[in-house]
Amino acid sequence: MTDNVTLTINEKEVSVPARTLLVDAARMAGVEIPVFCSHPKLDPVGCCRMCLVEVDGPRGTAMMASCTMPVGDGMVVRTDTEQVQTVQEANLAFILLNHPLDCPICDKGGECPLQDQTMRFGPGISQLIEPKRLAKKHYDISDTIVLDQERCVLCWRCIRYLEEWEDKPQLGLFERGSDTIVDIQDGRPVDAKTSGNIIDLCPVGALTNRVSRFAYRPWEIERTPSVCLHCSVGCNVRLDSRTHQLRRIVGRENMQVNDQWICDKGRFAHAWVNDEKRLAAPQLRKDGKLTPVQWGEALAFIAEKLNGIKEKYGADSVGAIGSGKISNESNYALQRFMRAVIGTNNIDHRDGGEVAALPTGLPALAELMKPQYGPDPQVDTVLLFGVDPSEELPVLDLHLKRAVLRGGVKLIIAHARQIELTRYNGPYLSYVPGEESSLISRLTQAVQGSDQSEDEAAISAAAKLLKESESSLIVYGPMAARGENGPGVRSGLEQLVLAAGEGARLAYAGLDGNAQGCRDMGVLPDRLPGHFPLDDADARARLEALWGCNLPTFSGYTYKQMLDSQEMKALFVNGADPATESPDWSASLEDLELLVVTDLLPTATAQKADVVLPALGWSESDGTYTNLERRVQRAPKAVTDPKSRAAADWMIFAHLAKQMGADWSFSDAHSVTAAITQAIPAYGELTWEALGDQGRQWDASCAPTEDASAGRTSEEVPASAAEDAEYPLSLVTGTVLYDGGTLFGLTEEMHGMAHGATVTLNPADAAKYGLDAGSAVTVRSEQGNLDLTVAVDAQVQTGCAWIPESLPGAPVGALLNGSFTQRVKVERR
Amino acid sequence: MITEQMRQEIDEILARYPAGRQRSGILPALYVIQREYGYCPVDAQDELAEILGIAPAEVGGVVGFYNMLHEAPKGEYHIEVCTNVPCMLRGGNQCLHNFENALGIHHGEKTEDGKFALDHMECLGSCVTAPMAIVTDQKTGEIRYFENLDSSEDVEKAIDLLKAGNGFHTLERWTPEADPDNEGASDGPYRLGGMEPRYLMDRLNKPDSHRIETYEADGGYATAQRVLNGIEPADMIDQIKDSGIRGRGGAGFPTGMKWGFLPPGVQPRYMVVNADESEPGTFKDRIVMEYDPHQLIEGIILSCHAIESEKAFIYIRGEYYFAYVRLQEALAEATAKGYLGEKIFGTDKNLDIVLHRGAGAYECGEETAQLTSLEGYRGQPRLKPPFPAVEGLYAKPTIVNNVESICNVTHVMRYGVEWYKEYGTERSPGMRIFCLSGNVKRPGLYELPHATPLSVLVNEYGGGPEDENHPIKAIVPGGLSMKLLTPDQFDTPLDYESIAEAGSLLGSAGVIAIDDRTSMVEVARRTLSFYREESCGKCTPCREGTAWLEKILLRIEEGQGLGKDLELMEFIADNIAGKSFCPFGEASVWGLQSNLLKFRPEFSSQIESTNPDEIGPVLPIRPDYRPNTHEESGLRDSTFAPAGGNIVLHDDLVPGDD
Repeated sequence: MTDNVTLTINEKEVSVPARTLLVDAARMAGVEIPVFCSHPKLDPVGCCRMCLVEVDGPRGTAMMASCTMPVGDGMVVRTDTEQVQTVQEANLAFILLNHPLDCPICDKGGECPLQDQTMRFGPGISQLIEPKRLAKKHYDISDTIVLDQERCVLCWRCIRYLEEWEDKPQLGLFERGSDTIVDIQDGRPVDAKTSGNIIDLCPVGALTNRVSRFAYRPWEIERTPSVCLHCSVGCNVRLDSRTHQLRRIVGRENMQVNDQWICDKGRFAHAWVNDEKRLAAPQLRKDGKLTPVQWGEALAFIAEKLNGIKEKYGADSVGAIGSGKISNESNYALQRFMRAVIGTNNIDHRDGGEVAALPTGLPALAELMKPQYGPDPQVDTVLLFGVDPSEELPVLDLHLKRAVLRGGVKLIIAHARQIELTRYNGPYLSYVPGEESSLISRLTQAVQGSDQSEDEAAISAAAKLLKESESSLIVYGPMAARGENGPGVRSGLEQLVLAAGEGARLAYAGLDGNAQGCRDMGVLPDRLPGHFPLDDADARARLEALWGCNLPTFSGYTYKQMLDSQEMKALFVNGADPATESPDWSASLEDLELLVVTDLLPTATAQKADVVLPALGWSESDGTYTNLERRVQRAPKAVTDPKSRAAADWMIFAHLAKQMGADWSFSDAHSVTAAITQAIPAYGELTWEALGDQGRQWDASCAPTEDASAGRTSEEVPASAAEDAEYPLSLVTGTVLYDGGTLFGLTEEMHGMAHGATVTLNPADAAKYGLDAGSAVTVRSEQGNLDLTVAVDAQVQTGCAWIPESLPGAPVGALLNGSFTQRVKVERR
Repeated sequence: MITEQMRQEIDEILARYPAGRQRSGILPALYVIQREYGYCPVDAQDELAEILGIAPAEVGGVVGFYNMLHEAPKGEYHIEVCTNVPCMLRGGNQCLHNFENALGIHHGEKTEDGKFALDHMECLGSCVTAPMAIVTDQKTGEIRYFENLDSSEDVEKAIDLLKAGNGFHTLERWTPEADPDNEGASDGPYRLGGMEPRYLMDRLNKPDSHRIETYEADGGYATAQRVLNGIEPADMIDQIKDSGIRGRGGAGFPTGMKWGFLPPGVQPRYMVVNADESEPGTFKDRIVMEYDPHQLIEGIILSCHAIESEKAFIYIRGEYYFAYVRLQEALAEATAKGYLGEKIFGTDKNLDIVLHRGAGAYECGEETAQLTSLEGYRGQPRLKPPFPAVEGLYAKPTIVNNVESICNVTHVMRYGVEWYKEYGTERSPGMRIFCLSGNVKRPGLYELPHATPLSVLVNEYGGGPEDENHPIKAIVPGGLSMKLLTPDQFDTPLDYESIAEAGSLLGSAGVIAIDDRTSMVEVARRTLSFYREESCGKCTPCREGTAWLEKILLRIEEGQGLGKDLELMEFIADNIAGKSFCPFGEASVWGLQSNLLKFRPEFSSQIESTNPDEIGPVLPIRPDYRPNTHEESGLRDSTFAPAGGNIVLHDDLVPGDD
């Protein structure tokens, strides 16, 4: 497999692995061969002819394309002869022939391979005196990408990316000969979720970023290596900034995480960072109105109120909501504040205590990846249970598609909707929300070899794949494990893994950018940092010594309980917006004696707060984030708004702790990171410096081995899916990538991509209720109602109504009101 | 847009291709759409994409690639006049003008009543009867050849015929002289000659030569019957190797050796018959398929026996509609007789032949591009290795052979290896159909043994120069790509080795004679126009270089040439040849390279006489850049008028032809 061959490049002997392409062998030998079409992450195509080199062969010296030719033993190659130089000059002359040379107004200018190679290998003068070919100069091939056909050098990189990685050939060559152009089909804009990567791949300025267009010059920007926070994959990105503004985000290579790809939300949806609506000063409610105040006044007010409430009602009348969107440091500080300063375990986050999760996330993303020249994925079968990577974790979606198409991975999908990944013809197991456990037990029985009825071909097929697999991975997400059903789903899946035998593994994947880190930090009502149970003596001793306090003993309230409970008197809400999730909660938040909201933007919850504290975003302060495979990664400060008085969450709580008599002595974010390494054994070596630019996974064996966070203890499971005359449809909800959330919605250019305020029905149901796509309807549940427009799609099963979370102006919370499953009816408005 | 009925027809088409390879049917399916609407509307393309399970852009890319698929309606009758070099030498340009005058439109336009659309066209494989045109009947998708359109009267006759609705009673070629009453009567095969007796062309002139009854009466299919029942595949490959048959498509690779490259035991494996005859000056396969299709089918049966393939494809060029119809009939006849299908000739062998029409792309004659096209993609070449014999169609072992090569197989197996080797030379054995065109008295197809001297072909069979006062000054010996031979080389024997020694190649044996009435600058420019038009656009040197060369040659023709242009053209040509992705690039400049070498004074004197002061062209100034991302720049709506008095064959410079 890894036999080496020896060849001579420019009189120098090099030994490289067999089957290496000549162009890569030269790079290893320190010899640069200019290329346009060749790319280390795409299949060779050999069309630009820039990389021709002299190769001695049986019939004399020949000019060969080094990007398509594998090395051979004893091969003699020259890249520096006069002939090679002539060909390079001629080829650059060909490429530049119809290139418009509008570099001064081209975004690529300054970081353009065509400019660089022309300077280095080009002829210096143009011999063309004929008119240049004209083509479409700049037009949108999607809401985020602008194409300039005149600048295009037809290297096919964009086409190949969409074909080889996205499996969505939405760009193609049109016409032929010298009229050949790259284009979309008329009326079919590119909508692949990671399409922006073609901008990074383009070796000229033919594809430019519509959101960042004309917003920077490459030589003026500062580049900060960071990670993306839109989902839990934790793609590595680079933040390009200038004059205190985030100008552009591009992908950064991390072969353990995202290869070098990022999704379009991560690339383009960053306008919120510099948005005018950002909170810039603390606000205190005075005479019923939120009024800007100094930090000291705000913190003193909170401390005084808290002391009063604690005295009057006890510590357990105070609660705090953390978030999977904020850093480990901030979450750590928040829960320490609650546990050590207030003395309560009332600390949780959305998808926290209510979800029957597992502590260790995915084994490793790399086990699912199939890089261009890497080995096949270690995992051979993946069962996605209630996870839709295409909408929730787009780069995982990319990895999975590639693993299926090129790595021989088998994909089994269990989901309430027939999600996009079902197009790979793996078994698709459908269920109605609430019936997950029953599906799992039928699947487990099938794996165990019990008889199957004929109509369950998909279950048999899935069971067969799981049985045959040597290394399978079952991934479930919060949508399948929330609420009363959660513990049953988790234990069912654990049984399934046992049935599937050795080599089968189960993993829970949270969805928020720091969902894993938030759990790791102990932002859970029944877990200490590091996933230790509240009664773990070692952990208690360690933390009590470190924090200088006595830890509370009893489990606190979960997120939902805190919001439902009438006993809560003071609540901290950080990076969450429960007011939009339930009309009841929205009302009860007003009854609190103290509501402190720390956020980036004036959310609906913030409107109800007594104190609003402005937080720094992930790009504005150093912080670490833990992705879904437990990789702790750094996101250093990249931009500062000089006019803003916002502070990092951890710093806010450190100051508040001081107001209340504790002294944490954190000098900077890195010292909080260091404190985490002491508090959580699994993070023991993961100091800021040690994490480096590629992050490090924490050791899964450091997690407590006993049963993980219980989630909500199993109460009676509600009767589900039974025919209900009043409310005939099961509500299916979940995350979509382009939702109505502010982090997406503030990027105006992307508005056209946003998921509409729709309820999607199966064509059969639409016909049954006399509805068409576009019908204006009211959806009703026992909890409330919501006005929406009908969409019709067979991906939704009959008997279900699909309404994503966070639709613009149409919160599905109005129907759920804090519950996890509901039955609904759809009425024409 | 795709109606139930169309859908049914498309489904039937797709069913011809192996399971899971339905994308292969994209061209025939698009023909169904185009027949219905006169073009391929985007909505219908998108629906087809859905049917094929591919992305809409993939269908759009295919429509854009193939010349015969239109993105806008073309008119009831679409007239396309060949203006490529062999026709140009015999008045093709005048013929186009005659059509323009008769219809009152410029080429690239449509008459106001939408009845006629007129375009110029690249070589249509009818050089012997130049000047000529093809007409497509939009309602049926049928194509008929109108040939020998020597005068404006001939052109008017043809148009009258079409107007009267009598143009498509038959699809056999039309000539004015065969249809004195202008009722649409057809003409038979064109001028044939050569050695006696002939083999490959022996039956072409016989009545009903295309019918299986006459073919069998002449001893047809007896060889297949005998070989399939008595000769082992391996033995047959040995015989073909011994016979020394070399490929007739252009490269001259030994057929038996190619067959020997198939990896043993790998099934399925495919035979693809390259009937995409598009090399300008070549028109032999067309007439064989039109008038003796069974000769080809028997050859395919024999060849598939040898290579142990059960599925063959005939990739026929889209314009060859009559040959397509004749082959369709012949395949049905052979199937009815039990010669095709299951358990053929009473053996336990099976053979299915799929007839696949291309859609107008010269590049698809290159074997890997042909396979890519047959798989349903844009016809662009792919990397070798792997060679088709190892990984060809659908990544399975595949043999691609030219029509004439396969016909030779029929005769070798019928008459024996020794018989075959009596003809020609040791390394170029057998007989050859030479396609003689250009400025000779009797252009035609001449079947002669290899090594017949060029002068014998041109002077004895072709009757010498068309006009005694104008001697032949150059001959292209093997199709337009090949290097020119000058009068001192006219005695060269027509075999692979001798022609190669003379500095050219025998190619497809399309012999084009050029007399001294024609400017070699024009020959060069028209040649490059062809390559610019037909370059697939995959690799940089060929895509950009051919267009650049054409621009320079146009400028020289128009009187703005510069002395340094000659060196520049040589530089460009040198950097296309051997640097391009496929052999097409190389072939695109051979003609120019030899032309510049041998007829340089013609170029120099054109430049000196028209632009003595070496005044360069006025450099165009780019319009202002408008950084408005929401509006198109509109630069595609070119308002450039055709420059100069000459026919400018740039589609994109002609208003109204987008």
